[in-house]
Amino acid sequence: MTSTEQTVPELVDGLLDVRDLSVVYESPGAAPVQAVDHVSFTLKRGEFVGLVGESGSGKSTLGFALTRLQKPPARTNGGKIFFDGSDIRELDTEMLRKQRQGGFAMVLQSGMNALNPVRTIRNHFLDIFRAHGHVAPADREARAAELVRKVELEPSVLARYPGELSGGMRQRVSIALALSLEPQLMVFDEPTTALDVLVQHAVMDTIQALQKSENFTAILISHDLGIVLEATERVLVMHEGRIVEDGSSRDILERPQDNYTRMLLSHYADPRADVVELPGFPDRHARVAAGVTRAEAATSEPTVVTRSVRSADSAIVVDHVSKVYPPPRRGEKPVRALDDVSFTLEPGQSLALVGASGSGKSTLAKLVTGIEKPTEGTVRFGDVDVTRLRAKGLRDLRSNVQMVFQDPYAALNPLHTVEYTLSRPIHNMTDLRGDDARARLHELLETVGLTPTETFAQKLPHQLSGGQRQRVVIARALASDPQVLIADEPVSMLDVSLRAGVLALLEDLREKWGVSLLYITHDLLSARLVTDDIMVLHDGRVVERGVTADVLRNPQDDYTIRLLDAVPNPRRLREDVA
Amino acid sequence: MKYIAGKLGLFVLTLWAAVTLNFFLPRLMPGSPADAAIAKLSQNGPVTEATRAAIEAQLGVPDGSLWEQYLAYLRQVVTLDFGVSYTFYPQTVSSMVSTALPYTIILVGVVTIVAFILGTLIGVAAAWKRGTWLDSLPTLGGSFMSTFPYFWTALLLLFFAGYVLHWFPTTGAYSATTTPAFTPAFIGDALLHAALPALTILVTSLGGWIIGMRNAMINTLGDDYVTFAEANGLRGGTVAIRYAARNAILPNLTGFGLALGGVVGGSILVEQVFGYPGIGYLLFNAVIGQDYPLMQALFLMITVSVLVANFLVDILYGVLDPRTRR
Amino acid sequence: MTSTQNVRIPTDGAADGAVAAPSRWRSLGRTLGVVWSNGKARVGIVILGLFVLVAVFAPLLAPYDPKDTSFDRNLDATGAHWLGTTAAGEDVLSQLIFGARISILVGLAAGVLSTLIAVAIGLSWGYLRGFASEVVGFIVNLFLVIPGLPLMIVIAAYLQNGGILMIIAVIVVTGWAWGARVLRSQTQSLRSRDFVTAAQFSGERAPRIVFREILPNMTSLIVGSLFGAATAAILAEAGLEFLGLGDSSIVSWGTMLYWAQNSNALLTGQWALLFAPGLCIALLALSLTLINFGVDAVSNPRLREGKAKK
Repeated sequence: MTSTEQTVPELVDGLLDVRDLSVVYESPGAAPVQAVDHVSFTLKRGEFVGLVGESGSGKSTLGFALTRLQKPPARTNGGKIFFDGSDIRELDTEMLRKQRQGGFAMVLQSGMNALNPVRTIRNHFLDIFRAHGHVAPADREARAAELVRKVELEPSVLARYPGELSGGMRQRVSIALALSLEPQLMVFDEPTTALDVLVQHAVMDTIQALQKSENFTAILISHDLGIVLEATERVLVMHEGRIVEDGSSRDILERPQDNYTRMLLSHYADPRADVVELPGFPDRHARVAAGVTRAEAATSEPTVVTRSVRSADSAIVVDHVSKVYPPPRRGEKPVRALDDVSFTLEPGQSLALVGASGSGKSTLAKLVTGIEKPTEGTVRFGDVDVTRLRAKGLRDLRSNVQMVFQDPYAALNPLHTVEYTLSRPIHNMTDLRGDDARARLHELLETVGLTPTETFAQKLPHQLSGGQRQRVVIARALASDPQVLIADEPVSMLDVSLRAGVLALLEDLREKWGVSLLYITHDLLSARLVTDDIMVLHDGRVVERGVTADVLRNPQDDYTIRLLDAVPNPRRLREDVA
Repeated sequence: MKYIAGKLGLFVLTLWAAVTLNFFLPRLMPGSPADAAIAKLSQNGPVTEATRAAIEAQLGVPDGSLWEQYLAYLRQVVTLDFGVSYTFYPQTVSSMVSTALPYTIILVGVVTIVAFILGTLIGVAAAWKRGTWLDSLPTLGGSFMSTFPYFWTALLLLFFAGYVLHWFPTTGAYSATTTPAFTPAFIGDALLHAALPALTILVTSLGGWIIGMRNAMINTLGDDYVTFAEANGLRGGTVAIRYAARNAILPNLTGFGLALGGVVGGSILVEQVFGYPGIGYLLFNAVIGQDYPLMQALFLMITVSVLVANFLVDILYGVLDPRTRR
Repeated sequence: MTSTQNVRIPTDGAADGAVAAPSRWRSLGRTLGVVWSNGKARVGIVILGLFVLVAVFAPLLAPYDPKDTSFDRNLDATGAHWLGTTAAGEDVLSQLIFGARISILVGLAAGVLSTLIAVAIGLSWGYLRGFASEVVGFIVNLFLVIPGLPLMIVIAAYLQNGGILMIIAVIVVTGWAWGARVLRSQTQSLRSRDFVTAAQFSGERAPRIVFREILPNMTSLIVGSLFGAATAAILAEAGLEFLGLGDSSIVSWGTMLYWAQNSNALLTGQWALLFAPGLCIALLALSLTLINFGVDAVSNPRLREGKAKK
């Protein structure tokens, strides 16, 4: 930092000292929730610390409390936050405002929405300079340009409005804005979560480089232990409002003390490894070679399948398909989402379709399920031409081709019970009625592991966890006894600890019911776990295809390699360290 | 530019639809307004053929295809030739409308803009000071005032400030003793006459703008860019005005355009109470006298004015929101 | 997609109905809780309740027949006539009490009818895509920008001397567009949710998706637009009656003011005759507006009562 005489701090003095901090959520009409519960920790100057936890662990709440940004219904109800020697909970509004320059800054999770849509980027910088007066008016333009360059953007973005920038660029701008405060402490709250995988990786690299060059103290809040272990020197693991583990990244990786930490760690693996195993998931390659099903090989979670099922007998054939969308705005070029893609999903096969966002993988799912029509080429299911189906034909198709949605929170109508949700496809797409229909419903719940079924049938979505919801979504997809399941990022919205269970369920269904699975994802590790074959999509084209394990262990295309590099993997770090 | 062109196209289309609606309105009604009108007119004296033809073209009679009638009607609209008034025979409708129009446009236009600006400012303050008396007072007062029927507010003001306290004249746009001219005396007199109608419209419409802006601003105050602005230590005033209010004004502006019709409608009642010789008062008299040509022309005029105002609001929106410039 | 016009909400007891009921009640209870927890809404509910009681029990509460003209004319407030008498010799208080019936009737009928139209058009317009949706959108916007009261006045003038039914019809014709617009944008946003696509994958047809998946998720918005439409209807009815465009022989707050103005109550100084009916209209409209503060909070959590940080 050029304009302050901040000497490079020695590791002797502490910058932040949090003692017994508690934050409570008090919504009228609801029981108060202690989101942060007597948390204590200290931060030395120049440290880069990760704060990890799954959803609801209180990590973001803690981040907002540390920077005094929490809003009702959240309220700090105990403890002290010593920043640079004084308790920031005592500061009045104006002192707090002044403290934000040269003190503590925050980068929000939704960096895309953190910029004022009606102000240019330049004005965002000028607002900050004017508010604190720490940059002389004559130097402001140059300083803004310098800051923008630090986050690897061109100074020309200063003249733009936020709406004209991509998500990754906007997040970089908000980092530059936070940096313009010349803070001693930066809190990054899930800074890359809303971004595309490859962009995530690049933004994290920038953050790490800046932390080293600018030498601020930083807290990185994330749900992803992999990202945190790769980036930071020390990690705080948070669970149910408490810090359950606090140690150096290396210690946590090699000698995790807490069961929760261990559980989190067990869900990471390198998709490139020769042998990939997760809890409940013995290595697929070895297992398939030995002719063992997952449920037989794993001892956990036996799934009861009580009825005979129809195996898939028809293939999905995608033949030279292209999809062109009209230009998003007038004067721009049409968007070619898919370009001459062909593949066949054989009965009983499981095929992974991987790519970053914008690669065209979700468009392909829409074409295969008949939601949209291709611009060129055909999609066939058995002898049915999917591209020519109208309303009636689509309903028939859907009794055979079903979909598992990405977001279990959006895919269930919040007002309908599980029983209602499952009874509709049974009613619409099978001949079962009355007791038979009810029996089928309970069988479905049992299949997806929601027992006792009587209890779960009566629940509303908000009474279920994310993993349970996704099981309901899968049960609904199974109701019509389909031959093909299209799963669009089925686990990406779930906490890491819940992912393996849902993946295991998909795998069992394929093996025991004989359904074909088209598994759409950006997550190569999960693709390695549940698919035989893989297809890598980039800008609407297939850039690489083959047997999943072979492609991932020995990738040929640059894009595949970049995707693999973007997978956070603490174990790789361990190898580096060793 | 594309945004403006699009809005202009929509404006022209809406204008055409409104004009056409005005054509079909009397023809959709049971009975024949034309016959009723001619019968009424003949009470005043013999009806000339030309007048009869004009009435029939306007109000629709069985002879001549609907299409021919429509074309004749469009010609009338374009040439602003709406025939003669029945009740104020032989004055032409156009001359009557053009006499009344300035009063309404100045009264309603100025007061509405003032009320909108004032209400928006109060709404900003209320949302910023949420939960304090600065919020609850204007919010409650505003919602109370916005439920006042226009004519009731008008009657109360007229009664107390006009009849009881004699602060203001009770009727008309200017005193009978003065003649319209650009003299200080006349302008002062006209302002005095406009005061009570203006106050009525201000009082009754203000609440809506306050509540609209307050709610829009409470929404933007919850947006991430406001939180981020606070995290960056911007001054409260900057956050309130340049971040929260600047974005909240956009939905409020749309609301303004759509609520304009209500204010114009309310001003009809106000003019009636105060005997203020604008469009509304004229419309009331046309309705009472079953003066259909005058009524049709006035309704068209009111609709077109609101459409034009809406178009201007759309343009202003385009200026204020950079996202429309792409 | 099939059209959603003239759709009967399908009910087959076998697969649903009994199951959905408890959840519906629970969510209704939650919703009412949010509304009631809003202080403004609570006041509104109490005021509205009082007016409804007065309207229902008007014959018991009113001291005289509202059309009885046998009293002295233009009386000021006296022991026998708390609010005086009209120029025709009727008891003002009795007229006021009976007038509540008309306002509540018109508010309820016109509010419900225009909300029904708004729901039908808003939902189908939001669910449909393509050219048909554009056309509907244009018509809705046309009705939004055309000033309502002048249109009502013109229609009422053509339909000479219509009664209260004519007034309700005119208000409905001119008053549905706002609700349709609000409900449409909500329908559009719900339509793009995964659970709607999922319902299509469950083999549901368009009408059922609209009425069983989308509609129940907009209850608070529909209630909000019902109260909004009722408020507008009450004010419009009073305005039309005041202009003498309704049936001036009925006893309503609007006609009371019409007769008051025509009998020069302004000159005779009978302020109660002017003040009371208007205040009642304002209070009734206010109660609905206040309740809507609570209803807004259901659909928009940011508007729930809370304090700013400072």
